[in-house]
Amino acid sequence: MSVASRSSRAMEVLRAMLEPRLDARAQEWLALACDECSRLPDRAEVRFPTLISLASRKVPRGALEPSNSAREAARELVPGWNPERWTILDAARAMLVLSRAHLDGPQAVAILDEVFRHADVGELCALHRSLQLLPDNARFAWRAGEGCRSSMGAVYEAAACDTGLPCARFDDLAWRQLVVKALFVGAPVARIHGLDQRLDAELARMVLDLVDERRSAGRGIPPGAWACLGAHGGLRARDSMLRELDRGQAAGRAGAILGLARAGHADLVAGHAAGGESDPLVLAALSSARSARPSQDDYAHLHGL
Amino acid sequence: MRFFDPHIHMTSRTTDDLEAMSKAGVRAIIEPAFWLGQPRTSVGSFIDYWSSLVGWERFRAAQFGVAHYCAMGLNSKEANDEGLAREVLAELPRFAFKEGVVAIGEIGYDEITKAEEKAYQWQLEFAVQHDMVVMVHSPHRDKKNGIRRSIAVAKECGLSMEKLVVDHNNEETVQDVLDAGAWAAFTIYPHTKMGSERMVEIVRQYGPRRIIVDSSADWGVSDPLSVPKTARLMLERGIDPAAVELTTWQNALDAYGQSGQIDMEALLKTPVVDQRQLYHQNSVLRGQAPRVEETVPND
Repeated sequence: MSVASRSSRAMEVLRAMLEPRLDARAQEWLALACDECSRLPDRAEVRFPTLISLASRKVPRGALEPSNSAREAARELVPGWNPERWTILDAARAMLVLSRAHLDGPQAVAILDEVFRHADVGELCALHRSLQLLPDNARFAWRAGEGCRSSMGAVYEAAACDTGLPCARFDDLAWRQLVVKALFVGAPVARIHGLDQRLDAELARMVLDLVDERRSAGRGIPPGAWACLGAHGGLRARDSMLRELDRGQAAGRAGAILGLARAGHADLVAGHAAGGESDPLVLAALSSARSARPSQDDYAHLHGL
Repeated sequence: MRFFDPHIHMTSRTTDDLEAMSKAGVRAIIEPAFWLGQPRTSVGSFIDYWSSLVGWERFRAAQFGVAHYCAMGLNSKEANDEGLAREVLAELPRFAFKEGVVAIGEIGYDEITKAEEKAYQWQLEFAVQHDMVVMVHSPHRDKKNGIRRSIAVAKECGLSMEKLVVDHNNEETVQDVLDAGAWAAFTIYPHTKMGSERMVEIVRQYGPRRIIVDSSADWGVSDPLSVPKTARLMLERGIDPAAVELTTWQNALDAYGQSGQIDMEALLKTPVVDQRQLYHQNSVLRGQAPRVEETVPND
C-alpha cells in the first residue's frame, strides 16, 4: 500500500469511529475544517494551529469508544495503532492533521512543529497520537521523543503507548529512555508497542539500576519493571527477581514470576509454585508462566496495583 | 462550603497553597495572564507563560482537586512596550481558543497611556469578534477615573456589559460598575486594596447581585485563602448564606460560564484527589506516596 493511500485509509477508519459520536453540526464543522486544511499553504502558518485549538469548542468531550471492528481495522492498517483510549477530540484533531496539505513534503516537520510549540495538553495528546498515521513518520521521531520526555503522564502515554512509531523509529537511546520513563511516570509498559521485540542488555541494566535505587529508598517497584528484562541481565536480573519474590507485594511477585519465565528460569518458577503461594494474582501468573512464555501483554492487569 | 476564586496567579504559588485551598473548599480557580513583577523582554517569554497556563499549571492544580481555568491577554503595564506589545498581540489568537480559556484578561489600564489604550481596544475588539468574556484589571492609581474609562471604551468597542468583569473594585467604584450592568469583582488583599471586613459591608450595602470576591493572590503579600476567609466572616456577621454563595461561587460561574468552557456538572460532583490518575502521573510528587481517593470538601 502506498503511504498516501494508507493516510486516506486512516481517514476512513477515523471517520467511521467519529460518525456515531458527532451530531450534524459538529460533523459539518469538521468537514469544512478538513477541507480548509487540505488547501493550506506549504509552510508553517497560524490557521492550522488555530483549527486544532478550535476543535475543542466544536466537538463534544468524551471517550471515542471505538467498536471492536473499528479497532481491528486500525490495527490492521497501522501496526501498533490502538485507539481504545482515544477521545472524540483526539480523533477529530487526527482528521485535521491527516487533511493538512503538504505533510508529505519537505515542510512537514516545520508545519507540525508550529502546532506542537503552542499546544496545550489535550492538543499535545491528539498530535502525538496522530503522528503514527502520517506518511514517512521517521521524520517525526524527534518530536515523538519530546512527548516521551514529558512529565505530564497523559502526554507521555499519548506519545509512547498504543502506537507503533517509537518501536519502529526510535534509536536505541531514545527507546530505552522511553521504557524507563514509563516506570518513572507510572505508565503501563504492557501498552508500549513492540517492547518484547526491543529488549536488550543495556535496557536491563538501566532497569535493574532503577530497581536498586527504589529499594535503597524503601519504595516499591512497579510490576512492569520485570517486563523490561526479557532474557537479559544475567544473574543480577535473576537475583533481583528472586528478591522480589521473597519480599514483594502480590503484584510485584506476579511480575517477577512472569519475568523469571521470560528469562527461561522454568526451574525457579516451578520451585516457587511448590512453595505454597496462595495469592490469586501470583497463582494466575504461575499458571500462565508454566503454559507458555509470557509476553508483555501478561503484565497489563498488574499495572497500577 | 465550596468556593470559586476567579482571580489567582497560581504560577507564583506553591503546592502547600494548593493543598490548603483544596482543604478550605476552593474547587475552581481562574488564572488570568498578568505581568511577572518585572517586564518581559521577548515575545517568547509570553508564549511560554501562556503555554504554562493551559498546560503545567492546569495539570498541577488538578492534582489537588482544583479545576483550573485561565484568561489570556496582554496586561496593561507591558502594553507600554509598544514594539513588543505588537508581537505579543499577534500571538494571542493562538492561545485564546485553547481548552479552559474562559476570558480575555486581565487587560485594561495601568497609567492610562495611549499605548495601554491601544492594546486594550485591540483585545476588546478581539473579544467582541469571538463572543468572549473580558476580565478588566483596574488601575491602582487614578482608579475611579480608570474604571469609568475602561467601561466607556468597552462599550465603544461593542462589548455587551454582561460579558464584562471589572476587577479590583472598592467602595468608591462599585456603583459605577453596577450601574453600567457589568460584574464588579473585589480583590481581598491583606493590607492593601480590600480587606474582608470592608467586603462584608459592601455586600450588606449593595447586595450580592453581580458582585464577585477573589484573592488575586500572586508573588506579593497576598492570601490564596481570601475567598473562603471572607465567606466565613460574611456568615459570622450575619450576611444571608445565599448571598455568600452568590458572591463566592455562583456569580463567578455565571459570568465566566458564558465562555462555555466550564463543565458545571463536573464541578458540582465531589472531587476525588487521585494523584495517580489525574493526567495519569505524579510529577508533583518527589517520591512521596500519591494521595489516592481522598475526597475534597465540596458541600
